[in-house]
Amino acid sequence: MLRLENVSHSFKNGNEVLKVLHNIQFEVQKGEMIALLGSSGSGKSTLLNLMAGLMKPTEGHIYIADQDIVKYGENKLAVFRRKHIGFIFQAYELIPTLTVRENVELPLVFQSVSPSKRRKKAMELLEMTGIGDKAALYPSQLSGGQQQRVSISRSLITEPSVIFADEPTGNLDTKTEEEIIRIMMALNESMNTTFVIVTHEMEVAAQMKKTIMLRDGYLVQPEEYTRPAAGGSKAPNASSLPSGVEVHSEGAGEVS
Amino acid sequence: MRLAWGQIKRRKVVTALCMTGISIGCAAIIVAISIGNAAQGYLETEIIGGMKLDEITVTPQGSSGPGEGGGAAGGERGLLTDDKVQVIQGFNHVKSVIATKQLGYFRSISSDNLISEGVNVVAVDLSKLKEQGQRFKEGGALEQIGAVVLNYGATTGWKDAETSERLTNMMNTDPNNPKLWEEFQMYEGTVTDMSGKSIQLEQMDNEKKLLGPQMYVGGVLDVPTGREAQFAIYDRQAYVSFDTAEWLADSLNLQNGTASKQRVYDSVTVKVDDLQNIKPLEDLISKLALNASDNLAMRDQIASQLDTFKAIALGVGVFILLLASISIIVAMTMSTHQRRRQIGIMKVLGANMPQIRNMFIVEASLLGLLGGLLGIVFAYLIINGLNSFITASAGMSGLQIAVTLGTLPIGIAFAVMTGILSGIYPAISAARTNALLAIKRD
Repeated sequence: MLRLENVSHSFKNGNEVLKVLHNIQFEVQKGEMIALLGSSGSGKSTLLNLMAGLMKPTEGHIYIADQDIVKYGENKLAVFRRKHIGFIFQAYELIPTLTVRENVELPLVFQSVSPSKRRKKAMELLEMTGIGDKAALYPSQLSGGQQQRVSISRSLITEPSVIFADEPTGNLDTKTEEEIIRIMMALNESMNTTFVIVTHEMEVAAQMKKTIMLRDGYLVQPEEYTRPAAGGSKAPNASSLPSGVEVHSEGAGEVS
Repeated sequence: MRLAWGQIKRRKVVTALCMTGISIGCAAIIVAISIGNAAQGYLETEIIGGMKLDEITVTPQGSSGPGEGGGAAGGERGLLTDDKVQVIQGFNHVKSVIATKQLGYFRSISSDNLISEGVNVVAVDLSKLKEQGQRFKEGGALEQIGAVVLNYGATTGWKDAETSERLTNMMNTDPNNPKLWEEFQMYEGTVTDMSGKSIQLEQMDNEKKLLGPQMYVGGVLDVPTGREAQFAIYDRQAYVSFDTAEWLADSLNLQNGTASKQRVYDSVTVKVDDLQNIKPLEDLISKLALNASDNLAMRDQIASQLDTFKAIALGVGVFILLLASISIIVAMTMSTHQRRRQIGIMKVLGANMPQIRNMFIVEASLLGLLGGLLGIVFAYLIINGLNSFITASAGMSGLQIAVTLGTLPIGIAFAVMTGILSGIYPAISAARTNALLAIKRD
């Protein structure tokens, strides 16, 4: 479903080249729900942007639904994202001038799906996320947790191959955070949709069956999870992961 | 569309500013076209209509105008004689021929001692007055000698002898007195029922007043079609038959104009069946050693001046719209920058460049459309104001400006086009927004 092959990325800062990702290699199977864990500056956001086709890696290949998105131009990537990728943002990013239902429909508008079909599908998803009665309201009339449910519904409407959730509970209180994670897990199970959840919160990662950890641009090997990060990094370690969480390693810089 | 409309509703101040700019331009265009149309209509009915385009005026060769009776300058050859009138009447495409002879301006005194200071007496075949488009308000054309037909203007301006003398004296002693002019205008505009009355013409002969024989007002004409009564009062004509004219000339010692055996005329009005036959007929008439003139050139000149006026007015409207378009470009560009994050989100959700671009263009064209609709309201208000002003101040009730339905789509089209053209740059700029940079949070 999602496969990264030797993905490296560098930024240029004047004459200086700063390598932020080193030979990242892993694979996520269809229907899996994984956490991409890392502290601030670990490279997880950069990796998310690369996987979502918002940036191109300096080296390597990224396959989603068996298509190498690195080769695609901007317009083709837009079409690809429309069909295969869903997004859940930390700050929900709903369009304030559209109603809840219209926000959910939006990705289908870009696919020129008929209004009646869009409406039906949006309402189904809103019911599934428990906010069907809020369809006619505007985002400003909803709580943070409700807005994130709208965002989740919107990410699912195109039935994407993979959904990237960037710190989806970052703006929420603990109770709401639990609700949102529960909803995503339920949807993952019922719809068999692949989720990649980027987070720096151990509590969130702990609820996923699989975790990929990044530290200073490298994939962290399971045996290194306990070793403190160089330079006093506040990256989490495996010892803090709850029991039952599966972390795989298949050689240097590679997790599957 | 829904997204664009949402933005328009949400950004009320920007929307209001853009709409105001466009509406002023749109209103300017609608008002300009409406004024142009009204002026054209007014010119056609009041001026060009009065010109009688289907007529050729034939005068004796060598004469500079009516009243000279085809005098000696043109010789016998250039005279406008009965024979020539017969020939003209026989030409193809001639509908009617009406010959006239001017006897001149006379002071007139009525049987009930009212005085009119100046009436132009014209000899004409009275039975042909209707052919000229004249309508009788009272009476008709009597054949007997001494019968006269007054036009509408000739029934105005009659005053009793005392008032007439008082006003004449005041005009000599106190010509700047506004009350004098007010009273004068009042008498000039007052219509007197002259039908059935007798009138006498007064002629100065060697500083001696010579009073003509009693004449009978057998008919009074109505205001000519297409003319305003307020302007018709200045055209004072008394029509008599040729026999009556000769009778008057003998009585008042008037010059009959020629020693020719046959009757000669000052002018002949030839009505033509179609405007395109005017020039060929004029060529034929010229071969009879006569002058022929028409009003087509004058009409073309007026039409050309009107076109220039309309073009200038339209130019002013377009210029205002251009200025308004700057406000849209600024507002939309500002909007693009403020909505960068939203644009980024849409791109992440799968919107491609044309979709983002179209969304902004739709938004700009909606602004244009709303501005255009507001412009129509403004145009109606401006035109109502102008009409009130024209009626109240200029007294030209015939010149009423109306917003015709045909001008509304033109105004709206200009407004929407301005919106679209102004929205192109911001739309392209929005479409080029880098999604990643746009969604990045500081």
